[in-house]
Amino acid sequence: MNPEPFLQLDRVIHEKGRLAIMSMLAASPELSFTEMRDGLNMTDGNLTTHIRTLQEAGYVSVTKSFQNRRPLTTCAFTASGRRAFTKYINLLEQIVQQSRPQ
Amino acid sequence: MESNWAAEHLQVIRTLMERSALYRRALAPIMLYNGIVGSVAAVLAWRLRICPPKAFIVYWALVAVGALAGSLLLVRRQALKDKEPFWSPPTRRVTQALLPPLVAGGICTVGAFLRPPMIRGLGPPVTELWLPLSWVVLYGCAIHAAGFFMPRGMRLFGWGFIVAGCALLAADLARDELPHYGTAHIIMGTFFGGFHLAYGLYLYFTERRRAAA
Repeated sequence: MNPEPFLQLDRVIHEKGRLAIMSMLAASPELSFTEMRDGLNMTDGNLTTHIRTLQEAGYVSVTKSFQNRRPLTTCAFTASGRRAFTKYINLLEQIVQQSRPQ
Repeated sequence: MESNWAAEHLQVIRTLMERSALYRRALAPIMLYNGIVGSVAAVLAWRLRICPPKAFIVYWALVAVGALAGSLLLVRRQALKDKEPFWSPPTRRVTQALLPPLVAGGICTVGAFLRPPMIRGLGPPVTELWLPLSWVVLYGCAIHAAGFFMPRGMRLFGWGFIVAGCALLAADLARDELPHYGTAHIIMGTFFGGFHLAYGLYLYFTERRRAAA
């Protein structure tokens, strides 16, 4: 089996929590912090740490605003985040394809 | 072994993507449209004095068909604008969640049409209030169920219908005097008109503010 696809997997996305965040953002134009926290059953601290890592990698943009005088934090994919996620999915598919009986 | 792991990852990604795809299509326009239709229909029904139960049911069923058709057109227009399929997975999930309470409401309505719930006083027969209030409660249940696939405020909106509808239903059961012929229309106008208008305006302004931010 060719190990190349596995070695190319993006380590930032590969972590379980961050992969879950990326998967959710891939399906929505933007998601609020609470929507992600409730959807993933993560603690505030855990989610904040993962989002910060993704933000530092340039994969996610974070917007802070106010809704009804309450702070609202929303996250969205950046262009490079979408590209990295697409590449990650393609590599996973390659790994699955490789082991299928011909 | 490695491929099993990769396949499981892909499955998790697929599930999360499906779960997080919230339905957000044309919510403010749909709410505003339904609010206007409900309010205008209630005023019109009051002016036309539509009080016998069969006329009441037919009238509001026609209004519901008009509201539904208009809402679908708004959804379709938005889908075309965004170059998305009309029958998207979030749309399918919202429809599936809406259906059971709405079907229950439909069955109640057919039963009420066959055996009209009317009160006879000195004037013309008047529709009993349990019918519009049941519609309100069941509609609230439908909105609440669909709210799991929509932004969070939608479930609260559904709860508004359920709680207010149940409270009025309880008050109606404890009441002795005859309802005024227009009371059923006031209920319909307040809930299906006023509530939708208020929530539509809220969505319109909050979405605009978010877009500006």
